[in-house]
Amino acid sequence: MDCPTCESMVDAYVDGELSANESADFERALSQCPACRQRLEAARELSGLLRALPAEPAPDLLRARIERELREIAGRPWQRARQMAMAASVIVALGVGWIGGSLTTPGARETNELLAGYLRVSMSDSGVEVASSDRHTVKPWFAGRIDYAPPVHDLTAEGFPLLGGRVDLVDGRKVAVLVYRRNQHRVALTLWPSKSSTGTTPDFEERDGFALASWRRGGFEMHAVADLSPAEMKGFVAAVDQAIAADR
Amino acid sequence: MSEAPNPDAAAVARFRATVVPHLDAAYGFARWLTRDPVLAQDLAQEAMLRALRYFHAFRGEEARPWLLRIVRNTWSDLRQRRGGADQTLDEIEDRPADGPDPEQNALVSDRRRHIASALAALPADAREILVLREIEDLSYKHIASVLDLPVGTVMSRLARAREKLAAELAGRLGRRGHGLPDL
Repeated sequence: MDCPTCESMVDAYVDGELSANESADFERALSQCPACRQRLEAARELSGLLRALPAEPAPDLLRARIERELREIAGRPWQRARQMAMAASVIVALGVGWIGGSLTTPGARETNELLAGYLRVSMSDSGVEVASSDRHTVKPWFAGRIDYAPPVHDLTAEGFPLLGGRVDLVDGRKVAVLVYRRNQHRVALTLWPSKSSTGTTPDFEERDGFALASWRRGGFEMHAVADLSPAEMKGFVAAVDQAIAADR
Repeated sequence: MSEAPNPDAAAVARFRATVVPHLDAAYGFARWLTRDPVLAQDLAQEAMLRALRYFHAFRGEEARPWLLRIVRNTWSDLRQRRGGADQTLDEIEDRPADGPDPEQNALVSDRRRHIASALAALPADAREILVLREIEDLSYKHIASVLDLPVGTVMSRLARAREKLAAELAGRLGRRGHGLPDL
């Protein structure tokens, strides 16, 4: 084999595209051709450098958006257009939040984080880190994971069975998220201790097709997110308030 | 591609088992094509939905190259559709941007950052073929199907892309002996 021939085979050899016979011929030629040995070294090094680049996995939010689309397409085709519009606007909102960074107002960023947290628990079972309908399992699970004990109630009697909980990050702080179910929908209740002990009237909002409720009760800041109707969200908030009142 | 019947629950289930596991690859490729994390998500999502629409035409070939081809076609459509009207995409394409941001990981060395930015700085045709070969680890045959090129063209384009990358790296890091950067 002359040098131009072995030179032409360097790349295919590194890429594993030569047949066994061709590889053997190439390796024999290589022992006679220091120039091509150097080329091979260089090609391997370049390939190794690229292969060592860290892979960036698909973000959770993208996965959640796709999951959501698939569920909608498989389940309720008539809702599809609405869901597509919603997914698009959520991503715009979150995208702006990410790009804007410090330009985004704290309140908007918090809402984005709550929505992203909701997508995590609503899209897959792995989003729920402790899966149990037993409040005596869920509540102790938070001990050692966050620095407060959230009030946990099973609301099955009110039509919102407890599914479990997870720890999420809101505004850089670890917070408790309780997950409830309403028919096929999930409700995420994120709560953290408040500086004030006075309760407030719930503030309801609809955003990108999600119902949001924010209020203060029992010394906790409460934020509920769900893909429920506003009326059902009001029912959920009332059930939580009632359970907390019963604790006193 | 042909007009698709609406996918039913069974098709979605098959799609979930066959195609969705390659979402990381689709996003990774989108990330290098767009060089922008937000745009990459939009592209990957659009490509996934398109893949589902065309899933009836999927004949059990390998799913990953099939999906990557859709990512690439979606990207050319997206650019064409917005081209001219939308300056953002042109700006993104023209600016020397980083690929997947190695700065997010404090442990990632300078060296990797140089390699990532050298790759990101390459023209689109060199960048995509290197990503398909070295990062997605596709064979020449699969690269040919993703890029819709003959295998011979894949080989020559890959060789040119490697030369460009070596030159780009050398420019960034200085030379040593036979032409590879002194790292």
